[in-house]
Order: sequence, then structure tokens, then C-alpha cells
Amino acid sequence: MKKTVEIPLGSQHISLLEPIRFRFHCENEVIRDVDADVGFVHRGVEEACASRFEFKQVGYVVARVCGLCAITHSLGYTLAVEKLLHVSTNERIKYLRMLMVELDRIHSHMLCLAHTSENAGFEALFMQIMNDRELIMDVQEALSGNRVQFDYISIGGVNRDLSVEAAALVLRNLALLEPKIDELFERFTNNWSLSLKYRGIGALSLEQAYMYNTLGPLARAAGLVTDVRLETDDFPYAQVGFEIITERGGDIYARNLVRLRELKQSMQMVRNIVEGLPEGAIQEKTKGKPEGEAIARVEAPRGELMYLVRGNKTSILERVRIKTPTFSGIPAMIEIFKGSNFADAPAILASFDPCMSCTAK
Amino acid sequence: MSFWSKWRKRAPWILHYNAGSCNGCDIEILAALSPRYDLERFGVLNSGNPKQSDIFLVTGPVTYRSRERLIELYMQIPEPKVVVAVGACTATGGVFRGMYNVEDGIDRYIPVDVYVPGCAAGPQLIIDGVMEAVKIWERKTQEIEEPFKLFGGMGKIGEALSRRNTLEVKDEQNRREP
Repeated sequence: MKKTVEIPLGSQHISLLEPIRFRFHCENEVIRDVDADVGFVHRGVEEACASRFEFKQVGYVVARVCGLCAITHSLGYTLAVEKLLHVSTNERIKYLRMLMVELDRIHSHMLCLAHTSENAGFEALFMQIMNDRELIMDVQEALSGNRVQFDYISIGGVNRDLSVEAAALVLRNLALLEPKIDELFERFTNNWSLSLKYRGIGALSLEQAYMYNTLGPLARAAGLVTDVRLETDDFPYAQVGFEIITERGGDIYARNLVRLRELKQSMQMVRNIVEGLPEGAIQEKTKGKPEGEAIARVEAPRGELMYLVRGNKTSILERVRIKTPTFSGIPAMIEIFKGSNFADAPAILASFDPCMSCTAK
Repeated sequence: MSFWSKWRKRAPWILHYNAGSCNGCDIEILAALSPRYDLERFGVLNSGNPKQSDIFLVTGPVTYRSRERLIELYMQIPEPKVVVAVGACTATGGVFRGMYNVEDGIDRYIPVDVYVPGCAAGPQLIIDGVMEAVKIWERKTQEIEEPFKLFGGMGKIGEALSRRNTLEVKDEQNRREP
């Protein structure tokens, strides 16, 4: 006789922002096995990029793969195409792109922390973090003209310059946000339901993190040194004060801490970028059609995002391949679920910050 | 029923389902529920249970696999229910229109009452859409609460017919007289 009980979670659930379905095989309270089904939002973006849209439009199409990391998607694609077109951008464009990516990271990490605290039953903190997050959303709206889907990056440059008023707004809102993040540190380290309860739950060891090829905050919480900002030299991250952040333990508590410390660091980087913005044009001249094959890697809020673009000297590309961070995290996620309590499942899931729209494309 | 409707009017609970969107509208719905925009001041509560919900917020062009869940969720919401399509791709398919796994908008599957435009739809627009939905919802509630009697209905139809006949007769008389 079968010993386990099957409990489904999803595809629609209050703790889920997007459709994903799990089938937990539980023995009493303990999860023994998990089936994950992630393909609910598959739309076929890759195929459409290589058949329906011209290469100049694709940057705005791939931004619609995911709303949370839209800017990193368009940045990854643009970097790959610029390699094919042999365009090199000036320092100002690089700084402006970095600025938007770091702002995006701040708002994405804050959403994840809000979600984690909501799944811990801490609804008031969820509301508080979402309220603080609006400061960053205001900045994004002032800089790009849209709150979420900012089509900021174009091939060869950026679409909008940073005005003096917008720069002042960035600095003002960051100064307002800084004490609130410090307060969150206090909450996430000393509050019982967010720190002690989460210590040791959903733990991923360093060997497992290495073996299952995890990326982003998930790997860095386990102590694995992996960050594209450190590994590539597409952007002058060292100049704006980037240092890799790692924690030990690999549990939910460590992941929260990694996100909080990255928030602090991203804010400092944004401040450095705005203050040390070099002069220059915001658009470089581009000509020709992409030919050949190129790979670009960028650090999305959830980890490494990789683009492969292949062109054949026509305006329609031959192939666009997107490898997203959550996709790499799924084996580790299934491994962590095994052996943990069923009641912890939503909290573990939220701490992963999974992005199904990215995964299914 | 009328005893409860006074309180029900102030508690339209929403059910949110992502039918293949890019998360953009979903996080804007969360932002609309957060204190800055505060959709909850109208009594709106994000409920995860279709059987307790009144307003169905759908985002995304319906993907091939999510359409069954969409219809299932719609069927589970009790009457009266209102559907709000949030975002450009929910209305027409938007940028995803014509992709091979996309069904080009939800109105091919379920009746939609309010369309909220934008990519991604802003929180202000979402609040507007939900308030419009609350109005429609109240109207639908009234329609349901009106007593429905078959024979009384027949009587009403009969009255209307007889009134029309007399009018026609009068018209004919008017025409003859001059």
C-alpha cells in the first residue's frame, strides 16, 4: 500500500503570484517527493523573436518575457546584438544602463522580501515593504516614463537621458529609503517569526548549491561565489563599488540577509552612479544587420541571465535563446523540498523568488 | 437576501489569476493593494478562494494550458460575478498576439465586463477598473434579487402586448380621422 498522501499546490493559490503547480507526496507532515509543473505561462516568445519581429523590435519583445526583470532581459539581448553589430557604447550609456538595472534589482528584492514576510503570516510587514517600494517605483517612473515595463534600453544606447531633477529625486528617495532598510535588517534578524523560525529551514549546503548549479541569491546564501557582475567586464561595476556578497547556511534566513545586504549595496551603487555620471551622448550610431553568433550574460535579480543570438544578415534573427535563472534553480528547489515540513512549503517557495514567466517564456 | 446586500456592497473580494502574463500587471495589482494606492479601503480583499470571490481579475493573454484553469475558476465563482481584464495583452493578446501558444485575449473564453488598458496597467487604472466592476456588480446583484415569477411575467408580457395593441388601434383611428 502506498504510504504517502498527495497534496497539490497551485496552479492558482493565494501564496503564488504566478501559476506553478506542485504535487507534494507527503508522509504525515514531511514532504517525501515533489513534482513541479512550470509550463503554464509558456507563450512562445523565442519562436516569435526569430520569425515575427525584426531585430530592432526584439529588445522590446523580450522585455515582456518577465515584468520583474524586464530591464535585464532587454539588456542581455541588446548586449548580444551589439556584439554582432560591433557597436561599442560610451561610458555614460553604460552607467545609465547600470543605474536602471540596479534600481530594478532593488524593487525586485523588496518585492521578494515582502512576499516572504507575507508567507510567514506577517501581513503588516508586507504592506510596509510594499509602501517603501513605491519610492523606487517613483524613481523608475521619473527616469523611464513607466513603472514596470520601462522600455529604456535601445540598441546602441538608451532612450532617455537622466535629467537634473530626476537625479535629485533619485538621491532624495534613496535617502528616505535608507533608514527603512536598516529597520528591515532589524526585523529580519531579531523578529522571531522571520529570523529564528527560518533558521535552518530550506537549507542548501555549499556542495548541493555547486552540484545543482544554482545561481543568484540562492547560491550566494549558501556561500557559492557566483555573480556575473564580478565575472564579466561589460560594465564597470568595480568603479561604482561592487563587492560580492555571500552568506553561510543557505537557509531562508541567509537568503533574506543576502537580499537585504544586496539592497544596501545596490543603493550605494545607484548613488555612486548618479554622482559620478560621465558626460557623453546617450545614443551611438548603429548600422548593418546582425551576422554570426554571440552570447551575453547579465546578472538579473534572481541570478545569471544568458542570451544567445544568431543572425544571418537579415533583419529577422535566426535564433534567440534565453536561459533564465529560475530555470537553473528548479532542481535545487525540488531537492530542498524533500524532507522539509509541508507547512514550510510556501515560505521556502517565496524565499526562492521564482519567476515562472521567465522560466516558461 | 436584501438584508445582507447592504454589507455585501462594501466587500467585493477579488480573485487574481495569471493566465500567462509577464508579471508586470500582477505586481501592479499588488502595488494597488498596498498602502500608497490602497484598494483595500473600498473593502476589496485579495482572496485566494474562487468560492468566496466576486470580482475576477485576469492578467495575461490566455495560454494554451491556462485556459482550462481559467474557465474552471470562472465557473467556481458564485453569481453575481464580474470579470476585469487587466492589461493590454488580456484584452487583445497585445505583444503576444499570434504566438503559437497564445489564445489572443480572454474574451474568447469568458465574458468580460471591464477592460483595463496599459502595458503594464498602472495601479490608478486598476483601481478605476475595479470601481467600475463594483458598479456592474451591484447592478447584477439587483437583477438577481428581483423576484422572478413565471406567471406574473406572463401577465406583464400580456399587459405590454395589450397596451401596444391599443396604441396601434389608436394610431389607426388617428390615421382614419383626418
